[in-house]
Amino acid sequence: MAIAIGARKRSHVSSRGVVFRSRVLGYLLLAPAMIYIIGLVAVPFFLALKFSLTDATVSNLNGVRGFIGLENFTGLLKDQTFRAALRNTIIYSLVTAVVNSILGTTLAFILLAKFRGKKIVRYLVLLPWTIPIALTIQAWKWMFHPQYSVLNWLGKHTHIITAQYGIQWLGQPKSAMASIIMVNVWRNFPFSAVILLAGLTSIPQDIIDAAKIDGANWFTRYRKIIVPMIAPILFIGLLFNLVFNFTDLTIVFLLTQGGPGNATEVLATYAFKVGIASGQLGRGAAVTLFLFPILFLFSIVFLRQLRKREI
Amino acid sequence: MAVNEAIASLAPKQDTAQRVAPVSAGAVIRRILLLLGILVFVVVAIFPVYYMIITTFKANDDLYNLTHFPLWFTDKATFGHVQYLFQKTEFRRWLINSYLIALGTVVITVLTAVPAGYALARLNLPGAGPLSIGIFLTYLVPPSLLFIPLSQVVSRLHLIDNIWALVVIYPTFTIPFCTWLMMGFFKTIPFDIEEAALIDGCNRIQAIRRVVLPLSRAGIFSIMMFAFTLALQEFIYALVFIHGKESKPVTLGVVTDLIRGDVFYWGELMAGGIIAGLPVAILYNFFLDDFIAGITAGSVK
Repeated sequence: MAIAIGARKRSHVSSRGVVFRSRVLGYLLLAPAMIYIIGLVAVPFFLALKFSLTDATVSNLNGVRGFIGLENFTGLLKDQTFRAALRNTIIYSLVTAVVNSILGTTLAFILLAKFRGKKIVRYLVLLPWTIPIALTIQAWKWMFHPQYSVLNWLGKHTHIITAQYGIQWLGQPKSAMASIIMVNVWRNFPFSAVILLAGLTSIPQDIIDAAKIDGANWFTRYRKIIVPMIAPILFIGLLFNLVFNFTDLTIVFLLTQGGPGNATEVLATYAFKVGIASGQLGRGAAVTLFLFPILFLFSIVFLRQLRKREI
Repeated sequence: MAVNEAIASLAPKQDTAQRVAPVSAGAVIRRILLLLGILVFVVVAIFPVYYMIITTFKANDDLYNLTHFPLWFTDKATFGHVQYLFQKTEFRRWLINSYLIALGTVVITVLTAVPAGYALARLNLPGAGPLSIGIFLTYLVPPSLLFIPLSQVVSRLHLIDNIWALVVIYPTFTIPFCTWLMMGFFKTIPFDIEEAALIDGCNRIQAIRRVVLPLSRAGIFSIMMFAFTLALQEFIYALVFIHGKESKPVTLGVVTDLIRGDVFYWGELMAGGIIAGLPVAILYNFFLDDFIAGITAGSVK
């Protein structure tokens, strides 16, 4: 072992060539991934920035007038549908993130307990997260069916729903919003739970035992040990959750297409309608860029969190 | 007596040393609450999936009859919907497309993320720290922000309506996370082992091939699974880039082609969802622990 260390030192000192060569190799190894990310994430991102400042359309990439400054953005701020979409996006992502965290935490504590068949239980509760959502969303659409809704059937037979024809889940503005939130929560709470569970199981049992011996009751143990130790992980989970919900397109698009009216229109669906379906690339790109400041904020907070850990 | 035993069996299992102590009422209540909690979560999680399965095998007359009990079969179960799916739609084609796209994504992801992860974890590159964080952050740049400009990139590459478009685009969301995961795996391999190989006369690349890669087989396998299942789950890019029936992946084909105007083929829709979805769920479960480790690596130490 001593020889090995000596040899390593010598090789580093003796020739700069070794270090240099491993650096070249390093950048070579890094290159494919970097090229991919620059070419298909960074460049498109700047392309979106460029589009958003022009009146580009699918049929006319340079636009009729070309560069139009911030007109797309100012136009959007006056656009009723856009404002509804912005408001809905905030409601949708905040409510789902909070409900998710509550249910996720509960489930995580349940999965922390010892019981037989835990593996199977974990597999089953994770199904909503592991089956592609584009496919399960059809099951929800079927359960929300105006005529054959099984949820209405269950509700009426348990006397929870009293309305004669049941609830028009996707047909009324408020219930449509509640429905997309419900589906999102169903899909994502298992994920919050497993993330949190990873945090909980990483707390060394001896710390908790030591606290017990020192006479800390369970409340003190939670407040002083468990909560501070899982706070960062809970936070990371919440962050991922917010990002995914804030930019979610699949659930809303497949369930309500933003309807009825614009009751469930969110930024992502509106961007799709404007930018792809009606081909106004410039205006559509401007809609998506409204997602960016918030994502940027998330990233900063995330980085802070990482740095705190390293100190 | 039997009741007492039943109650005792509900109590948490304890080590032999503690078993002599009588089971407190509090422990039993806690145990019952726990089991109730498990039951509620499991029912909520699997109900839609259960309902999909029932619908898949229900004849239409049974399905669209409001007087029938919806949670089980009133008439005989049928394979009609599954048959229709395979014989009268492009379902088989969509499944094949999905798996081809996912395979392509895996190949590209492994070829880029493994070397990048190694370089960032091992080679002491100047700027490796910020670079690796930067790579991870691109994971947070969502498809919703990129699909408009990417639609232009794809049409410039003449790949619209071609499954290759998705093979090229999907690695944008698998590479960042997989690179991050691989960094984690490479860091767990003791440096000494690699160094010993270097001293024994291997050059760096030989050391990687003979020592590092075999040791990180588990890590590479889990990023393969990760990329594979993520590619199978994707929907947004497929919706934007693919329009022709022939080139759709299954997530897109099922939801677009089994709904004609206002007519929904519910039995077929559910059948397609279950057949395409359950294998993904099973695969996902295998590498879930690695996935969680990767996500939480940034926050727990």
